[in-house]
Amino acid sequence: MPALPADMVVPVFMGGASARIDADVAAKFKAGDGVIARNINPAGHTRLPRYLRGKRGTIHKVHGVFGLPDTMAHGGGETPQNVYSVRFTARELWGADASARDSLYVDMWDDYLDPA
Amino acid sequence: MAGHDHTDPPSDIALRVKALESLLLEKGLVEAETLDAIVELYEHNIGPKNGAQVVARAWIDPEYKARLLADPTSAIAELGFSGVQGEDMVVVENTPEVHNLLVCTLCSCYPWPVLGLPPVWYKAAPYRARAVSEPRSVLEEFGVDIGDDVEVRVWDSTAEVRYMVLPERPDGTEDLSEEELAALVTRDSMIGTARAGQE
Repeated sequence: MPALPADMVVPVFMGGASARIDADVAAKFKAGDGVIARNINPAGHTRLPRYLRGKRGTIHKVHGVFGLPDTMAHGGGETPQNVYSVRFTARELWGADASARDSLYVDMWDDYLDPA
Repeated sequence: MAGHDHTDPPSDIALRVKALESLLLEKGLVEAETLDAIVELYEHNIGPKNGAQVVARAWIDPEYKARLLADPTSAIAELGFSGVQGEDMVVVENTPEVHNLLVCTLCSCYPWPVLGLPPVWYKAAPYRARAVSEPRSVLEEFGVDIGDDVEVRVWDSTAEVRYMVLPERPDGTEDLSEEELAALVTRDSMIGTARAGQE
């Protein structure tokens, strides 16, 4: 791959490239659905933070279709699937000492979620 | 020691960056002019002043604010800001009832076109761990007083979406111009670790 020439810096960096994938992949969940983050512990790359594994949340919003980092990071292809904003209550994550009002929103791929 | 003229060696990280840069240049993987152009871009053109313009516009123009919340990437692009690490934006609004706080627990994901490159503390493990597990304590340490009746929402950006906080417009700013309002909008107020206009 040739090095990026200096005169391409502004167009490349100001232009960007969305990671969205234009693929017709059905979403397994919709806003309001209860989900459980899978308790997976892969040896390779994942974007499923450990503190969420096994926790119960609610789908807040469907972001659309993106590639799955778990396979892309290892040359395994895009595995296009929906990404969701998922809401977890602070108490579900941190126990009774956390505020009953507070919550955490995190972006999760379909492969990270089971129905609750 | 007085009169002893010497220069301290560069820090470990500066030496590491120099070593990496010279290797990349030697192998022809990057060009020196390209690196200079990138540094120039993020030192002078892309930073939190961009986001401050977005916030100030949203404060004075309700229709722009509605667009910003509904289709943030396009609304931000209206003001000329777009690009790498801002291709799919979400804007979350602070209100008297809700305070939003941004973090990337896995690394340092951050909305470059509106905020520039992230501060060191944002990338550091203590902030990344504590912003999710004890956000109220973190906010208190940043000098942000959050009442028990306010809901704290923490946004952990683990995917390709990038977030920005739309801070609350400070009281008593009704007569300020858009430019004066933008001057109240700090980087931290768009991360959620400060209020706009906070000293």
